[in-house]
Amino acid sequence: MKKLFLGIIAGCVSLSSMAQQKIEFVEYDLPNGIHVILHQEKSTPIVAVSVLYHVGSKNEKPDRTGFAHFFEHLLFEGSANIGRGEYSQYVEKNGGALNANTSMDRTFYFELLPSNQLELGLWLESERMLHAKVDSVGIETQRSVVKEEKRQRIDNQPYATFIKELFDRLFPNSTYGWQPIGSMEHLDAAQEEDYVNFYQTYYVPANATISIAGDIDIAQTKKWIDKYFKSIPKGQAINLYRDFLSLKDDAFKSKYGVDKSIFDSKDFFNSKNAKAKAMITEYTNKPTVINRPAKPTEKPKTAEVVTIYDNIQLPALFVGYVLPEQTNEDMYALEFLNSVLSGSSSSRINKELVEKKQLATMAFSFAYGLENAGAEILAAIASKDASLDEILKELDAQIEKVQNELITQEEFEKVRNQFENQAVTSYSTISGIGEALADAHVYRGSANYVNDELGKYLKVTREDIQRVAKKYFTKDARVILHYLPKEDKESK
Amino acid sequence: MKKLIIALGLITPALLFGQLDRSVVPSAAPAKAISIADPVVFKTANGITVILSENHKIPKVTFSLAVGNGDRIEGKKAGLSNIAGDLILSGTSNRSKDEIDAKKDYIGASINAGARNMSLSCLTKHMDTGLEIFSDILLNANFPASEFDRIVKQAESGLMAVKSSPESMGNNALMTSLFAGHPYGEVMTESTLKNITRDDVVNYFKQTFVPEGSYLVIVGDITKEKAEEVVNKYFASWSGSILAKVDYPSAKNLKGNRVIFVKKPGAVQSYIQVAFPVDVKVGDANYIPVSLTNHIFGGNGFGTRLMQNLREDKAYTYGAYSSLSIQQQGAYVAASGSFRNDVTDSAIVELIAELNKLTNSYVTDEELSLAKAVLTGRFARSLESPATIARFALEIERYGLDKNFYKDYLKNLDAVDKEKVLDMAQKFYTDKNCYIIVVGNESVLDKLKQFDADGRIEVVDAFGEPVQDMKKADISADELFQRYAMFLTNTKDAKTRNKVLKKFKSVTQNISMSVSQIPFPLKSVSFWGLPNSEVMTIEAQGMVVQKTYFDGKTGYSSNMQTGKTDLTTEEIAAKNKSTGLIPEISYAISGMKYEMLGIENQNGTDMYVVQLNDGESESFEYFSTSDYRKIKTITINTKGGEDAPGEITKTYSDYKEVNGVKFPHKIVMSAGAMTFSGEVESIEINKKTIENFK
Repeated sequence: MKKLFLGIIAGCVSLSSMAQQKIEFVEYDLPNGIHVILHQEKSTPIVAVSVLYHVGSKNEKPDRTGFAHFFEHLLFEGSANIGRGEYSQYVEKNGGALNANTSMDRTFYFELLPSNQLELGLWLESERMLHAKVDSVGIETQRSVVKEEKRQRIDNQPYATFIKELFDRLFPNSTYGWQPIGSMEHLDAAQEEDYVNFYQTYYVPANATISIAGDIDIAQTKKWIDKYFKSIPKGQAINLYRDFLSLKDDAFKSKYGVDKSIFDSKDFFNSKNAKAKAMITEYTNKPTVINRPAKPTEKPKTAEVVTIYDNIQLPALFVGYVLPEQTNEDMYALEFLNSVLSGSSSSRINKELVEKKQLATMAFSFAYGLENAGAEILAAIASKDASLDEILKELDAQIEKVQNELITQEEFEKVRNQFENQAVTSYSTISGIGEALADAHVYRGSANYVNDELGKYLKVTREDIQRVAKKYFTKDARVILHYLPKEDKESK
Repeated sequence: MKKLIIALGLITPALLFGQLDRSVVPSAAPAKAISIADPVVFKTANGITVILSENHKIPKVTFSLAVGNGDRIEGKKAGLSNIAGDLILSGTSNRSKDEIDAKKDYIGASINAGARNMSLSCLTKHMDTGLEIFSDILLNANFPASEFDRIVKQAESGLMAVKSSPESMGNNALMTSLFAGHPYGEVMTESTLKNITRDDVVNYFKQTFVPEGSYLVIVGDITKEKAEEVVNKYFASWSGSILAKVDYPSAKNLKGNRVIFVKKPGAVQSYIQVAFPVDVKVGDANYIPVSLTNHIFGGNGFGTRLMQNLREDKAYTYGAYSSLSIQQQGAYVAASGSFRNDVTDSAIVELIAELNKLTNSYVTDEELSLAKAVLTGRFARSLESPATIARFALEIERYGLDKNFYKDYLKNLDAVDKEKVLDMAQKFYTDKNCYIIVVGNESVLDKLKQFDADGRIEVVDAFGEPVQDMKKADISADELFQRYAMFLTNTKDAKTRNKVLKKFKSVTQNISMSVSQIPFPLKSVSFWGLPNSEVMTIEAQGMVVQKTYFDGKTGYSSNMQTGKTDLTTEEIAAKNKSTGLIPEISYAISGMKYEMLGIENQNGTDMYVVQLNDGESESFEYFSTSDYRKIKTITINTKGGEDAPGEITKTYSDYKEVNGVKFPHKIVMSAGAMTFSGEVESIEINKKTIENFK
């Protein structure tokens, strides 16, 4: 069970880093709006090619949840020039590996390749960005794959809905109210048109950050990026082109009012027809409007304890508090605070609730940072005969203790040491660095944040930890979930 | 929609963006020479070869120590080095195990140890604290008796698990036959484990962990000056000389194929290995081309010959692979896979045919380039980890390789052509002189004779020891059951026996169980009541994690993870075939199917083997031929899901009398990788009824 929870937590928390080495990089924008970050690290002849699209589940419509994550699957189906299933073949045949992930805030694709295959990686990613296959065959295939994933990772796992249940109440009427996996009913109900619209809205150059790390020649890499990405049309011209490829003549005409034939099918962007030229220019200048949800504003729904009946044997308690967005300075102290509470086997919650009082079989806490908000989550799975109210009382006692007294100097040092060691290790791979640079650019507005982060952590004091404990752990603004075995409901 | 896709397919290849033809797949740039920095190597006065690979990418440093003493014959104490390795971190004359743990946790370090190695990994700034603990262990490890007992117990569980793992049994059979008379051919068994004492461990550690001939590989954020300083500070007082090198016979080449069989009662698959020794050493002239050859034959991946033939084409298996294992003192190739019973012989035919093809014809250009691409990519990606660089540096030193061996690895890999591959196949591979090792159901045994050069199949046990053929039993199963009941009840005839048994209306056994993978003890309660009710519960930390309940008519099983399931009609029928305190004496009338198979010798003990089938599962019961006590039961699971263990073995010992009837007080159950060691703490007679367990 412990493993399971660590898995869930690992999926939620991005470990902030404390690397001491300065990470050098080059960054610039392409005219079509793509942001490019290049990090040279020549010690190993490999390269991590990644593209971050600033779209996550929070960009979804409430009746079309799961789209962002679904695209993470769909966009491996192929492109105008890459056959179905060939994405992975290209990578493996050339000695590489590939993967992708989706959060509430963004979707991230990457290939890890021998560095002499950098151009291949750029081509693969540019194909995905320009004209990926978004059609019924791929949609059907991936629907069943995603359903299996949900069954395996959420439905079939005890307590696995807690994020959804907490966020739904911590951030009412905001798009943080659901998990990236989303609703299978929504995916089923969606039409091909919905998928095409999502692709045309979010998979556009202005919403993408390319991050390349590894054994690269900066000048040559820039040339290849120009070759494959500069040519990707700006503004709405990309969607004019995509419609030209995918719509039938009459559908195209009813949407755009002109015949497809005015465009040059062999060389679309150099079409000779005057009207075609004018339209390409017009659409190039039409910006893509991307829906950027604002910070959640409504107060959390804290009125009552929520009871959820699940396929479980042991009751569990989940407590959520609203935290600030991940860029807020207080988040550093909050992460320290969580390490004090539950970072290791000798941490406070574990010692008191699990080992000494034996109220819980396991307990943990963490600060979940997001672009527009954050959440503090404390959780405990009850021991036999322990009541969830008793557990809450003890958790509260632990929180009151950090609110009322400074943590010990030794505790403070231990947590710093453990934190630092873990964090340093996360910058030991080029794929880790590539992802961190892209995240820093998108969330913090500066890739160079990776070099400032350590200083921010080192500034945290014991007083800061006490202060944030007082500021955010407020009893009248928290959500409490009781998970109870389904059998209990039936017997009532 | 379909039409649209076709139309799209037609247009797109011709589409151009300015000068860029996007349908052209970019070609690779020339493969890069790898810049693996030369390690700094120096020797200390006490004989340590220090290999330093500086890497300041992150502020961490790793110290890996490998001693120079190699594997040695352990004979009657086979397994000693593994036990010693598991014990190294359990205390020093200055610190208890708890103190070691607390101190290393405080600095966020990790320390590991094995039979011939130890390592430390920590942030550079905590290096001194880390090394202080590390060198304290190296110099002062004191092997507390309590920890010794704990590790031996763990090893006992491990040995139980071996018997249900076809891969472990197959590997034992392979190593003992391939490397007879060589340390690699030694396998720890229950009897060799018993011979190992704490003194042996202390002596082993003292003799083996010596500076002379050892290698200390330091990787990470540390300069040469600092490395010299800390090596001097923490390792200078370490003393001892390396043992004289012993040459052992090399792996045995065969003339003609030899079949070795390991019985796995009830197996539905055969685990097959086709193996032969190869005369290749790490880094020698054939090392790279033979690695490539083996990859084409059956390396990890879908495109290999074995995978294409046995999985993709024939669908005999989920996966078939060939491993090339090159160790310090010997090397071999083993092509292996698990195949369903009815294709066991066909699978061997194909494996041998593939070996024949490999040794007789060129590989295709496509196979060659795919294999090179996969190996190149894997090599390059592995270099990102400092541990890989450390391994390379160690191998160069230890095996005296060319300094540029790993720098030129990819170039030399790329230079291998199909002529070279065929040359390697002909030099090292064989389809005529193979060890063919099959772990499986006895029913496949007859089909294997055709593969053995002299038609005589050797049968070995789970640890590679030869098994004699089963002897014919001198009594019938019915007779055996009667004698078993008399043994339990200390009686000489059925009448007095029944009188004794009549006094029993219910039996409740309270058992405490330990499981090596679970840090806390489990409690189990086993209840039997007249006429035929039974309950079994397992509790962990006060919670019932598993329960089976049967009141004679209906029942259920429940599990913390999967919930409650009612017994099926078939399961109830099966339960009704085992009634009474000694079910065996009723088998003749209960509908249980049973058959006396004969007398088998295991570990020097003769045992009657009776096969049972209650319609739900098949099982084998083993009884002593001297006093008829039951020694063990093996139950074969054929109905459970994929996660359910294939078989459950229960062994019974320490029989003690309670109210005139003997009960085993030690019951060890192994299922899959889990071994439950149960000690019966108390037995209550006629105290409880089924009502107590509702």
